[in-house]
Amino acid sequence: MGKEMIAMLLAGGQGSRLYALTQKLAKPAVPFGGKYRIIDFPLSNCVNSGIDTVGILTQYQPLVLNEYIGNGQPWDLDRLYGGVHVLPPYQQASGSDWYKGTANAIYQNISFIDRYDPEYVIILSGDQICKQDYRDFLRFHKEKEAEFSVAVMEVPWEEAPRFGLMVADENDKITEFQEKPKEPKSNLASMGIYIFNWDILRKYLIEDEEDPQSENDFGNNIIPNLLRDNRNMYAYRFKGYWKDVGTISSLWEANMEVLDPEHSGINLFDEDWKIYSRNSGMTGHKINAGAYVENSMITDGCNISGSVKHSILFSGVKIEEGAEVEDAVIMGNAMIKSGAKVKHCIIAEDVIIGNDAVVGQMPEGDSKGVATVGPAIYVGDNAVVGPDAMVSDNVKDGDKQ
Amino acid sequence: MMKTENTNALGIIFPNIYDELVPELTSERLMASLPFASRYRIIDFVLSSMVSCGIDNIAVLVRKNYFSLLDHLGSGREWDLTRKNGGLTIFPPFAEKNMDVSSGKVSMIANLTGFLKSQREKYVILSDANIVSNFDFNALLDTHIESGADVTVAYTKQKLPQSIIEAENTTKSMYYTIDMDGTRVKKININSKEEGIQNFSMNTYVFEREKLVQLVNEVLIAGGIYLERDVLMPRLGSLNIHGYEYKEYVARIDSLKGYFDENMKLLDNENLDALFGNGKNPIHTKVRDDNPTRYITGASAKNVMVADGCVIEGDIENSILFRGVKVGKGAKVKNSILMQDTVVGEGANVDYVITDKKVQITEGKELKGTDTFPVFIAKKQVV
Repeated sequence: MGKEMIAMLLAGGQGSRLYALTQKLAKPAVPFGGKYRIIDFPLSNCVNSGIDTVGILTQYQPLVLNEYIGNGQPWDLDRLYGGVHVLPPYQQASGSDWYKGTANAIYQNISFIDRYDPEYVIILSGDQICKQDYRDFLRFHKEKEAEFSVAVMEVPWEEAPRFGLMVADENDKITEFQEKPKEPKSNLASMGIYIFNWDILRKYLIEDEEDPQSENDFGNNIIPNLLRDNRNMYAYRFKGYWKDVGTISSLWEANMEVLDPEHSGINLFDEDWKIYSRNSGMTGHKINAGAYVENSMITDGCNISGSVKHSILFSGVKIEEGAEVEDAVIMGNAMIKSGAKVKHCIIAEDVIIGNDAVVGQMPEGDSKGVATVGPAIYVGDNAVVGPDAMVSDNVKDGDKQ
Repeated sequence: MMKTENTNALGIIFPNIYDELVPELTSERLMASLPFASRYRIIDFVLSSMVSCGIDNIAVLVRKNYFSLLDHLGSGREWDLTRKNGGLTIFPPFAEKNMDVSSGKVSMIANLTGFLKSQREKYVILSDANIVSNFDFNALLDTHIESGADVTVAYTKQKLPQSIIEAENTTKSMYYTIDMDGTRVKKININSKEEGIQNFSMNTYVFEREKLVQLVNEVLIAGGIYLERDVLMPRLGSLNIHGYEYKEYVARIDSLKGYFDENMKLLDNENLDALFGNGKNPIHTKVRDDNPTRYITGASAKNVMVADGCVIEGDIENSILFRGVKVGKGAKVKNSILMQDTVVGEGANVDYVITDKKVQITEGKELKGTDTFPVFIAKKQVV
């Protein structure tokens, strides 16, 4: 029996703009929101939308991601038929290739998709924070009798030139696609989430692969080819929370928005749309007698003796006495030692910030940089890490960066 | 982290033992499923310890009130006990044999004869579920094997808690102290009232599987009921029973007050570390997929242990909050244990209180117990 719709999740991105965080980690595995990783969002959306078959296309630093996904049980995606599958590039009789582009990644897994004989395939992206019911999107796709639909967000006109834009008529039928144009004709930004009729996608993937000039990319090749052929293409306007977290500042910002669900719209406290994740298995967090905690999110295994304001702490974080943490995202098992000041920054997993060290600073005037300290870095006692620094090597005691 | 061995033992857990000691908390559940330490149930400790020690064939012998335990354990997946060979097996009471659910372990184990005969492990480890510890069962088993004993029993050296000495129901909930001759048990005392440091049995035993089956069947035919009184005490001469002193952190639940105190003790980082710290095995529990806990501006928290899924807008101090607790604006919670999904309304004031699951304390209410008599509010009550 076939599946109505299966999902293919593009998780191959190197995430070079998140450099210090993604040296040893695929971007979708980057931690987010206190106990999640970015990929928890599309995976939870899938399972909450009734999609039980997901292929994850990965090729860059896949170790952590593979281990994290495992058999898919935390997302209820351990299924007899379907479930979640991590799909790295593989050797074939005709030779082997890295995934050359987003379209090529799907092309190389045509046989995986064919096994489920789906009517529709939804293409998802592994670097966005978004809560979306894909059932609504599919309903739209069917109602329009579309062959291809793309989820779009209305963005302010002045920001439109930063996005891939869909120009659509009054029936939401797409007439033109503009990639980061100087003069936008539309403010409907593509979210990089597509629904295809599988027969159409299959045909265009094979054609695209035969074209030696092609970059094998959805945005640059497949979508323009569909337009060229006057296919039935529609833009689906999504109105919920959506954020691309491809840069340090957008990742930091999205984390901070979690602290203000009333205004930002990203509500992790939604009983009807839970975001699932692999559990840390640590005990409840501990806030000690001298600690101060204000407007923050704290999870299992944390132990807090210092001051924490407007920050997100991941599991197992230790904040010693006299340490000050503000506007900070502090990932799993990091330790902030006594007297350290950690502000307006992202601290990755397993980092140690030494006694009285200073990392980042609150924004002043034009300086709004988010300091970033990569995984398992040691920042020495009394060291100083400036507001724009991106630290991927240990910082000695007393040093400045 | 300890290395996991393939341990040649299976585990048997008795989750109903000592239910009578905390009647308030066990009216709708059993001892093993008491919530503990902000996100666990008591049985998580013995299950996780066994699994970490390589024991992956575990039988849980339930007697009554076991709905909450079945719900908690499911297929055993959270403890990695969903196995083709072994794994978690829950045995409900055998209606055709003995319906007296208060009877002792002899008939419970004898009822398992068929199961036990078909297993392969050489040893059986028996454990109650009123004990919270990160138990190294391998050390216990190694000692048992090295000593050449027929039976090994774990005990702690401590004064007997007042609550258990004074408990009314001790004919049912018998407890045992042991007198030692070197490392050999020479006498077992039932419900001793001795003062001073005693060898207080944890009722954790190692037997050879085939020997255990033979003993309980022999004793059952002769009308025996209790493992200690009817199997071990008459055989102190013929069986070599070895005592194993357990020196690590342990909490025993023997009364509502004891339950309160043992939870509160974990607010001390030293105790928390002794139970969960570095080098200790992880304790697994049923996952609820709660979001992290949110402290909203205006909240204050001092000396608290808090699980995920809480929203704190008021003041919390010296308290333990389980998953999904809400504390409203201006509310004050001190010296209290709030179980899952308790809601404390705006401006309410709570001191020395234990709330069971889903209790609601409405706006502005004041509830005060004392150190010696914490107020208990039963499941789903609205105050």
